[in-house]
Amino acid sequence: MTEPAMKVDNITFSYGDLEAVKGITFEVAPGEILGFLGPNGAGKSTTIKILTGQLTPKSGKAQVLGVDVTADDPEMQAQIGVCFEEKNLYESMSGAENLRFFGSLFGLKHVDADDLLRRVGLADRANDRVAKYSKGMRQRLMMARTLVNTPKVLFLDEPTDGLDPVSSQAIRKLIKQEADRGAAVLLTTHDMNEADELSDRVAFINEGKLYAVDTSENLKLQHGRRSVRVRARDEGGIKERTVSLDEAGAGDALRAAVGSPGLMTIHTEEASLEAIFIEMTGRGLEG
Amino acid sequence: MSRPVSHASVIGSIIKKDLQEYSRDRLWAFLTVLLLVVMIAIFWVLPDSVDESIPVGVSGLGDAGTLAALETTEEEGLRAVLFGSSAQLRSVVAGDADAWKTNGAVVVIPNDSDVEKPAGAEKANVEIGLAFPEDFIAATAAGQKTTVEVFVDARVPDEIQSSMSSLVRELAFAVAGDDLPVDIQEPDEVYTVLGEDRAGNQVTPQESFLPLLVFFVLLMEMFGMSSLIAREVQSRTVTALLVTPATIGDVLTAKGAGGALLGVGQAVIILVAINALGHQPLLIITLMLLGAIMVSGTAMVAGSVGRDFMTNLLFGFVFMVPLMIPAFAVLFPGTASGWIQALPSYPLVQGLVKVSTYGDGWAEVLPDLAALFAWCVALFAIGWLVLKRKVETL
Repeated sequence: MTEPAMKVDNITFSYGDLEAVKGITFEVAPGEILGFLGPNGAGKSTTIKILTGQLTPKSGKAQVLGVDVTADDPEMQAQIGVCFEEKNLYESMSGAENLRFFGSLFGLKHVDADDLLRRVGLADRANDRVAKYSKGMRQRLMMARTLVNTPKVLFLDEPTDGLDPVSSQAIRKLIKQEADRGAAVLLTTHDMNEADELSDRVAFINEGKLYAVDTSENLKLQHGRRSVRVRARDEGGIKERTVSLDEAGAGDALRAAVGSPGLMTIHTEEASLEAIFIEMTGRGLEG
Repeated sequence: MSRPVSHASVIGSIIKKDLQEYSRDRLWAFLTVLLLVVMIAIFWVLPDSVDESIPVGVSGLGDAGTLAALETTEEEGLRAVLFGSSAQLRSVVAGDADAWKTNGAVVVIPNDSDVEKPAGAEKANVEIGLAFPEDFIAATAAGQKTTVEVFVDARVPDEIQSSMSSLVRELAFAVAGDDLPVDIQEPDEVYTVLGEDRAGNQVTPQESFLPLLVFFVLLMEMFGMSSLIAREVQSRTVTALLVTPATIGDVLTAKGAGGALLGVGQAVIILVAINALGHQPLLIITLMLLGAIMVSGTAMVAGSVGRDFMTNLLFGFVFMVPLMIPAFAVLFPGTASGWIQALPSYPLVQGLVKVSTYGDGWAEVLPDLAALFAWCVALFAIGWLVLKRKVETL
């Protein structure tokens, strides 16, 4: 069996009296993307800070690549990549210089900055100072910086925040490529569609507590309504009916509806991740 | 794929990056170059010698005894200016009139007079006056007691004021000659000069300016480094460093070493430009290095607490002004009390003065080096702890 790239066992953390993380447990396998979903202040960033060695958990145990995160092990740090929510780049340096500098911290003699910048769509701005970059360009450079050491574990904190749809799609594609390469990815987001599209599994976190860790499919099956909504043109106008798949004779009812001559549309009524999140935590993902 | 990286390599990378950023900050780059140029220019404009004679106004001495007396006083570093009357002398010392020297004579013009100064006359700045009685020579020769009035401007230091009685005795001796029938006392106290006797070789304004010049360089280092640190903290780039193999120790070491390198580099440029590395260059550079590390500590504190350029500047001044006091004390002797010896920068200034002004070597400066090293460790440790705490709470 493959060793998990990340193993979190009942960790807690407090900022003074405020309990930010309340005993959460999960694992992420190599090549897996775990979508960490929750509103602002839910404990997502604190969890990433613990796993990247920036904060020490009050209790519990967390390992990355088999190394205790409190060990401050440079070997482990050399194999992770972190994309922060804030755009903490050196503004007086160019995009390429930023990448080369961070590469040097990983002991890399040569960093193919041009290739990395090309992957995030910044090849033509490689030598411009970051101070001249737009918010979206900075975010893309952040992503490039995260990949500078070809990490085995990626921590991505809102990596598409503030990006236009095209740039977001490019970043998502990049994340998929990294996972396909074998990198374990912990992706925090409050974009439901992004989590649904990218994640192999999702984890719901709210007020420092983990509510669920499962595949989107399973969560939808467990919490959504198993029904189909059918719209058909009738003599009196447009008629809509909902067929519950859990009712007796649902198959016959569905066949009749599909066979109706005036059939217009059929919609499955599975729940969205957001609806499930609200149902489980009692609050929405925004704010 | 990354490979194991040494602390030295990480520290080197961060220093290189910091110096790159520093050089690209147009404001600091401009101020640094400007300061270097201005300071070097000021140094070379300052006199490299000292006029050690003090002008003393004299009245009441007849021509006969005066010449002999004057020759004596000039040997003692006093330059006599002869006045026609004690009233004129009093008014000039009191600042009510100006004295103008022309063709050996002195013309006194009251301030409220419309009379113009004589053509080609040179102003005689007299702050001390000795008004001898008309019968001074005769009375002295006869061994009779006589009274000499001494006028002293309030700005004249106490030690010079008190030396006037000795001068009067010297003049009396010179006027009366070897066969003095009266008992004229030698000065009550005999002074022995300890160390190098600088009489005739006084500390020049250039030499006095040197410690202050060095401190301006360190001040710039402090502002530059604290600005870089503040930016690193505020933009949270430091957290990006700490998720790489760079440890907090690496980051702090790089900040300290980078600051010291910057300070020493600039100091060496200045010291070479003012030709001050001729004697004991290694000792001077060692002093500068310790000073720069000490200042790096304060830069870490200022950079941690400063939020923007202005607060950074404010905290920089708060920390640096006390450190500059010993350097000002050298520039303006007699202005500071003994408590300045308790300031961390005192051993640095003391060491620099000993080496550059008095030509001392390692043995003489060792106590100052030891004290400076202790302060250096203390201030750097404080800076380290403050910055570490700041970074950990980001």
